[in-house]
Amino acid sequence: MKVLELNNVNKIYDGSEVHVHAVNDVSLDFLEAEFAAIVGPSGSGKTTLLNLIGGLDMPTSGKIFIDGTDLSLLKSSQLIDFRMRNIGFVFQAYNLIPVLTARENVEFIMSLQKWSKKDREERTFELLKAVGLADRADSRPAKLSGGQQQRIAVARALASRPKFVLADEPTANLDSKSATTLLEIMEELNHEEKITFIFSTHDPRVVKMAHRVITLEDGSVVSDDIRE
Amino acid sequence: MILKTAWKNVWRNRVRSLVVIASVTVGIFAGVFAVAFMNGMIAQRFDAAIDEEISHIQITGKDYLLNNDPEIYMTPEDGIIPAIKSIPGVEYVVTRTIVTGMASTASKSAGVQIIGINPDREKEIFKLYKTIIPGTGDYFETESKYDLALIGQDLAKELNIIRFAIDSTVLSKLRNKEVPDEITTKLEAFSGKRFSNGKKFISTVTSVLTSHELRQYGQLIREEAWSYRENSRMILTFLDRENNQVSSVFRIAGIYDIKNAIFEQSQVFLRNEVLSRLTGIDESSFHKVIIRINDLGESENITNEIRKKFPGLDVKNWKELQPDLAMMTDYVHQIYGFFMVIILAALAFGIINTMLMAVLERTKELGMLTAIGMNKKKVFSMIMLESVFLSITGGITGMIAGWGTILLTAKKGINFAQYAEGMEAIGYSAHIFPEISASFFIMVVILIFLTGIASSVYPALKALKLDPAEAIRTE
Repeated sequence: MKVLELNNVNKIYDGSEVHVHAVNDVSLDFLEAEFAAIVGPSGSGKTTLLNLIGGLDMPTSGKIFIDGTDLSLLKSSQLIDFRMRNIGFVFQAYNLIPVLTARENVEFIMSLQKWSKKDREERTFELLKAVGLADRADSRPAKLSGGQQQRIAVARALASRPKFVLADEPTANLDSKSATTLLEIMEELNHEEKITFIFSTHDPRVVKMAHRVITLEDGSVVSDDIRE
Repeated sequence: MILKTAWKNVWRNRVRSLVVIASVTVGIFAGVFAVAFMNGMIAQRFDAAIDEEISHIQITGKDYLLNNDPEIYMTPEDGIIPAIKSIPGVEYVVTRTIVTGMASTASKSAGVQIIGINPDREKEIFKLYKTIIPGTGDYFETESKYDLALIGQDLAKELNIIRFAIDSTVLSKLRNKEVPDEITTKLEAFSGKRFSNGKKFISTVTSVLTSHELRQYGQLIREEAWSYRENSRMILTFLDRENNQVSSVFRIAGIYDIKNAIFEQSQVFLRNEVLSRLTGIDESSFHKVIIRINDLGESENITNEIRKKFPGLDVKNWKELQPDLAMMTDYVHQIYGFFMVIILAALAFGIINTMLMAVLERTKELGMLTAIGMNKKKVFSMIMLESVFLSITGGITGMIAGWGTILLTAKKGINFAQYAEGMEAIGYSAHIFPEISASFFIMVVILIFLTGIASSVYPALKALKLDPAEAIRTE
């Protein structure tokens, strides 16, 4: 089942002195439970493509469909709500809310969606256990290591069972051990929750684990390898 | 969750938040206490005016007030008193006979208004009988071979009936009242000296004592140092009905002190039958009717009703008799509200500054929140709540501090003895008892809440303008 469809997507930045074709006629489909990596050198358009997929930016031309919904037809307020219900984000710099505990960070999205307290607590416990941090539920981010924070971020991204999770260089700030642990957890969650993961990465470990590798160069897809 | 997050965000930078909260606390405390102080002053002035000077409504003959012509008087045949007593809401009615004259002693004289009263009836309306200075006599209770007159403290000083002196008796009394030796030693330099008025006395004492000593003991020294010779007499001179000059000796029955220098200097009270005998005005005739009512809110209605019944008379309620007092009581709440708005507007700038810093520091975080699905309404609400929490926290602590200070000072009052003469010259007591109403506190809470909301608008709009994709990339 397709969760994400990109049809001839272009993104052009037209400044007064600079004209940048950041994403050039990209057409891609993503299915449920895919574990895909988007790779390419710096400036190849990975982050721009991820922003377009995540609805954080609008394409200059082309269409993006998430679970059949055309993003270009959504108003700004509808887009924010749509993101909340359908897309999970894992950022390079973790971006946890520093004043909230690990538990509260994971619960945050669910409370925005007005889940009942019981359902929130159940799902939070389930995810914290899955990422191996059930015993650190009441710790604030400042008391957690980088790897632990990123695991909490993954739990947060999965909390409301989105259609897919976008992870922009999630291992970039982690040591190798933490990065490996994180990736193993993400692969396991991908398998258990059947949620699509789309990475933007330079990390060869991510590329090695990915079931599909999409290579970008100068904004265009130069290869799209699906591995068994 | 937004509420919890907003509250926790307030304490993200503890020092900064505490500084803002402290500034709001101080501002609110100062505002609340200043209002309580002003309230106390106005309330005391109002009570003094009603209970000691003018009461609620006064009636005189037409044009009487223009030149106080004693020939413009009212009689029982006019049917005024029974008609007024029949009006619902009227509590007590008294009449007064008034002439203008001169009070003299061997050394000084002063122009006065001489008022003939029924002392027992007057007690129903005025509390003058409670203001007799101890040791100066009483309220027409002790008989004398001379006719009796009640005069004010300032008139007594004017006529040199009251003087100030520091002697061994005064110093001994001060020591017994635990005034420190260093102060009594300084005062000994003036032992045996008499001061003809309070101003000279205070000026001399001020020159030898420190401001701290004056604040602590000034009032006590003043109270002990003034002296009054018992059974003092004065001469009252005025015109009778035939325009003949009449002079008569009066014994000072007592000296009253209502903390209003102008009133005390000019108003002399005699028994009505005495004034009647000396002026030839019939004892049952009167120049003024004074009315006390049950409900202050009905004063205008009752005044209008009396005017309808007696269109030929001059009827005035307390607002018309003392328009300055009316202005203060009518507009005082607007003045307080305006005062608090100014304080809160100043505080709001501090809150806006703090919230702007908080938003700009959290650009990345706010971008992330928008990215993961926090809509603009919730972002705005979160920023607004943080601002409201800051202002409410400071506001509550400020109100508690203000209320606590008011409680402490309301019982014993705040004594401005060193300014007593100046304040009494304009009718205000130097001993202020701060007071505040519950409705004012409610108004302050609402204003603080609105300040919090208003202060959040600009920073929140700044937060809403962030582009999530760019914000997340911010270092």
